[in-house]
Amino acid sequence: MPLDTSAYSLALLRVDGRRWNELRRIHAQIRTQAAADGSSYLEMGHTKVMCVVTGPSEPGPRRGTAGAGAAGASKAVAEVAVSVVVAGFSSVDRKKRGRNDKRNLELQSTIANALAASLHTHLFPHSVIQVSLHVLSQDGSLLAALINAATLACVDAGIPMTDYVVACTAGSTSTYAAGDESADPLLDLNHQEEQELPGLTVATLGESDRVAVLVCESRVQVGRLEGMLAVGVDGCKQVREILDRVVRDKGKRMVLEGTVAKGEGLEDMDLD
Amino acid sequence: MASLKRSVGSDPLAANISSKVYVRSTKSGKVQKIVREVYLRQDIPCSSKLCQSCLKVTPRDAAGRQIPFVLSEAPAGTSVFPQGHYLVPDTNAFLSAMDLFEQSSAFYDVIVLQIVLEELRNRSLPLYNRLVGLTKSEDKRFYVFFNEFRLETHVAREEGESVNDRNDRAVRRAVAWYGEHLARTKAKKGPAVVMLTNDRDNLRKAKLEGIHACSLAEYVKQLKDGDRLLDMIPDTEDRDAIKEKRPNELLYPEYLTMSKMMTGVKSGLLHQGTFNVSPYNYLEGSIRVPAFPKSLIILGRENINRAVDGDLVVVEVLPRDQWKEPSTKVIEEQAITRNENPDAEGDDAVSERERKALQEEAKRTQSKTTEGHAQPTAKVVGVIKRNWRQYVGHIDQSSVIQSAQQGQKQDTVFIIPMDKKIPKIRLRTRQVAELLGKRILVTIDAWDRGSRHPVGHFIRSLGELETKAAETEALLLEYDVQYRPFPKTVLDCLPKEGHDWKVPESIDDPGWRGREDLRGLLICSIDPIGCQDIDDALHCRPLPNGNIEVGVHIADVSHFVKPNNAMDTEASVRGTTVYLVDKRIDMLPMLLGTDLCSLKPYVERYAFSVLWELTPDADIASMRFTKSVIKSREAFSYEQAQLRVDDISQQDELTSSIRALMALSKKLRQKRMDAGALSLSSPEVKIQMESETSDPIDVKTKEHLDTMSLVEEFMLLANISVARKIYEAFPQTAILRRHGAPPKTNFDELANQLRVKRGFELSIESSRALADSLDTCVDPNEPFFNTLIRVMATRCMMAAEYFCSGTQAYPEFRHYGLACEIYTHFTSPIRRYADLVAHRQLAAAIEYEAVGPGVRSRGRLEAVCKNINIRHRNAQMAGRASIAYYVGQALRGKTTEEDGFIMKIFSNGFVVLVPSFGIESLIRLRDLAEPEPEATFDAENYVLAMSGSKDLKVELFQKVRVKVMDRKDVTTGKRGVKMEFVKAY
Ligand SMILES: [Zn+2]
Repeated sequence: MPLDTSAYSLALLRVDGRRWNELRRIHAQIRTQAAADGSSYLEMGHTKVMCVVTGPSEPGPRRGTAGAGAAGASKAVAEVAVSVVVAGFSSVDRKKRGRNDKRNLELQSTIANALAASLHTHLFPHSVIQVSLHVLSQDGSLLAALINAATLACVDAGIPMTDYVVACTAGSTSTYAAGDESADPLLDLNHQEEQELPGLTVATLGESDRVAVLVCESRVQVGRLEGMLAVGVDGCKQVREILDRVVRDKGKRMVLEGTVAKGEGLEDMDLD
Repeated sequence: MASLKRSVGSDPLAANISSKVYVRSTKSGKVQKIVREVYLRQDIPCSSKLCQSCLKVTPRDAAGRQIPFVLSEAPAGTSVFPQGHYLVPDTNAFLSAMDLFEQSSAFYDVIVLQIVLEELRNRSLPLYNRLVGLTKSEDKRFYVFFNEFRLETHVAREEGESVNDRNDRAVRRAVAWYGEHLARTKAKKGPAVVMLTNDRDNLRKAKLEGIHACSLAEYVKQLKDGDRLLDMIPDTEDRDAIKEKRPNELLYPEYLTMSKMMTGVKSGLLHQGTFNVSPYNYLEGSIRVPAFPKSLIILGRENINRAVDGDLVVVEVLPRDQWKEPSTKVIEEQAITRNENPDAEGDDAVSERERKALQEEAKRTQSKTTEGHAQPTAKVVGVIKRNWRQYVGHIDQSSVIQSAQQGQKQDTVFIIPMDKKIPKIRLRTRQVAELLGKRILVTIDAWDRGSRHPVGHFIRSLGELETKAAETEALLLEYDVQYRPFPKTVLDCLPKEGHDWKVPESIDDPGWRGREDLRGLLICSIDPIGCQDIDDALHCRPLPNGNIEVGVHIADVSHFVKPNNAMDTEASVRGTTVYLVDKRIDMLPMLLGTDLCSLKPYVERYAFSVLWELTPDADIASMRFTKSVIKSREAFSYEQAQLRVDDISQQDELTSSIRALMALSKKLRQKRMDAGALSLSSPEVKIQMESETSDPIDVKTKEHLDTMSLVEEFMLLANISVARKIYEAFPQTAILRRHGAPPKTNFDELANQLRVKRGFELSIESSRALADSLDTCVDPNEPFFNTLIRVMATRCMMAAEYFCSGTQAYPEFRHYGLACEIYTHFTSPIRRYADLVAHRQLAAAIEYEAVGPGVRSRGRLEAVCKNINIRHRNAQMAGRASIAYYVGQALRGKTTEEDGFIMKIFSNGFVVLVPSFGIESLIRLRDLAEPEPEATFDAENYVLAMSGSKDLKVELFQKVRVKVMDRKDVTTGKRGVKMEFVKAY
């Protein structure tokens, strides 16, 4: 058994060897499923998720998914329907989550609302954008990974959007009960840190400081919140850099391979 | 279709990421495979002040602060490493000799590897915490080097390599890296980096790899006071040798593996519980398990199988034909194993005597027809968790070989622990001559199958036996009382004004916010003589409507002790103030306890007040709680207050109000008694001290005064009122105190004794029934008889405990002894931490202050309750032990004859309680006459009849005359109260 999070103060090292302001390794790919309109695969440390986007398309029979945007009669904008499936093998104790699991429903609706804030849904009235997310492995910061994967898949699907919706988590190095006001903020929590420390998930619109999602489910002194939020927003900017690189690299390769023609707006792309 | 396989090759970071895979099993027995990422880095400094290159990469925290370097630029040298050295101990070095590292004479500049810290944490949390404490101490210079996260020192486990081998390799790798790294610094002759390990294989490999390595013993020998320190190293080499020499001569059965025990317990074949040793028979233990209504008896060394009092063990129940009655014979370890030779391991003559002693027991039980009394027996098959601590004891004089007393040769001796329930400990030392006749602190290291007694090592000497300083420290250590002076961090939390602090004059001061001005009320306090930490004060005044207003005012400690600061943390660890006869170990610093918080007379003080409107029949018409400012008019002792009340000529307002309180308290008491509250008893005595020398000169039994009940009744009322209020405000997290109903079987023996001897029926259906039936146990000729029964009944009770309201169902809240539904402690915040928590909760409940995390977090409160329950019990036992010691000292050189009562009877002795001294002592048959008289023991009727050298018949509850004196046991060197039988009445 490794040490727990209380060992941080000994050498300013976290349980996995990171410093307070370091992200885990993020690895992402887009267009992983050629047949889908948009698809992506994303790893943040050992948290691994897959996303497939279908649409915008005509709405089929309604399913039990969380939607945002158009509801009911006025279909002036496209509906963003999100479904999250958590694989039984994704976590250590193989707990099976039902389709109507409360946490799952909340994840779906949070993601749907976050995407709807960035996607130009008004361009696609009377239609549905179906976002299917699959969780393959869990090691903390699940919501953040799901939002990032969904953003990448939407980019791949070519749905117009204002900017990337990027997310990450932030925490604090000591527990709520310890009441340590000088605790360092932490970026990108893994599972163990999520279990032991207070944390929040924040998503921003691209490089701006505009917060699209802020979820805090743990108890933390209000004095520490500002520091955590600042670190989280800063982390979002780093995540955007990484995702942007993934998209540009993929685009560059596609142009080189001749899959797509070098079109307008791509002049600035370095193709050597 | 693109492959999803991770493109490790192209990722620049990938080389620096490693995974840690390990398997853990959960409480329910499931096995989980955990995979964790590890990020390897090169910016982890070596922390040596010699190193320049690491300075550049030193990490900063979020506020930009750097951790200063720890390891000295000029570390101390030894005879082998004169150039100076840094130490790198392995896990076993810390596990076996943590005391060594805490020495102030040596062991500076120590590198604690992350892998070592991890292993230590898994093996022993207390040792881990001690080590973390050392790393935080500025002068010891212990540095935690995160070797697992540094690229160069990370070691991946190889195929076929055991975890232990891998970890040993990681330690060696780190040592080697440190050596190379420091060699690159500019220092001409840098310090040596020395690995400390007792593992032979590891030492051998280290030599092969060309790194410095020593065993603990080798290393200590290089130091100046090596001989003294050498004693603190457990003798592993020696034990290995024994194992190799005589593999067949194992004295004890092997323990089952942990998984076998777990499955056994789960399937109900085995049982798990805490092992307790009988105070009268060291070869008999008992263990309470949920599956049996009566506790299981464990008889004999083999069945006890190396379990020590307090260990968490797993037992197997023996077949029904081996069930026995609890022992009726006194068996003392000292008497039986007195002549044992500590060097001879498998001396069978001794065990032969033990077996004989038990055999006689068995015979007696076998011949019995009363099957119903038989209790299930069991044997220990494994230990889940040792509860070993440090023990205070002294060297058994008889185990010392005379010639050895001079030389510096290492000798094996026995240590007799102060706690009779702990077996003697075998110990090797070079300082026999110095340690003889001293109180010493030792610890148990191991208890192998091949060793009759546990093996331990010496920690330190407390001083001469029977000196006040040594005995007091021994007592505090034995009951784990924190007696060191408060550290500076705690004292820094005190108000800056010190003793000059005053309640602010201006009502607009923030200190007055939300406080009621009760300075006009006639408030006084009533406490024992000489009480300095006055927690509570009272007042009462008639109201126009004929009712009476009564106020209980409690010192407002939570105003001075803010949650989570150093002072609060220290107080929560201490849990309670400990009162010894001549010493008080405070929970809070003196400044608060005896001055600023103490409700001293004639000065204004902050208080937390409970105010009731009571009807003349003492029913509550209304009540409220408020923070306040009061000014006590007088601090009375119980005796002074009693005199004042009794003196009719005193007609002033204050005295009349005490009289009114007295009248109300009697009504309150009657109500409690009607509800079934128990009046229990334990013999309480007071030591009279010579005021100049503080030497004890006399022992007096405590007198009970009405004024004592007066205070007690109103404190109970306040506690109950507060309990209701905080439970209403925080149903999940209120801190409360409960007293469980005792299991019926606890009273079986006492009820049977009363029925057989006196024809009384003890009914225990409810506390009411018990209280009533206790009242009927009266001997018209012997007024003390009733008290004796109450003393015995008290010992059948459960202990009251603090708990967090969310952990129990409401009916379980009940306080059996007080016969009330809900109860807490509120009235003594200066000396009990629970009361301080209750104060904070009440303050939040009346919205005086915000709800803090300490009030809200259930997990935290449960931890607090667990700790203060233990502290509370230890404090009580320490207090009692202190009284017992002083009773002995007061009797020194005197012999008196006293009346006593037989409260327990065995087949070879009986226990006499002497109420005037509050002591009980065992009188054995062999003490009565020489040679030991023949005796027949009628267990059914509790009669012991002697014949031969002494003609005598004694029975339970009998009044006897005994000679009380103090005597120093020649063999044990221990002074204690001894009783000699004079006559039976
Ligand atoms: Zn260095």
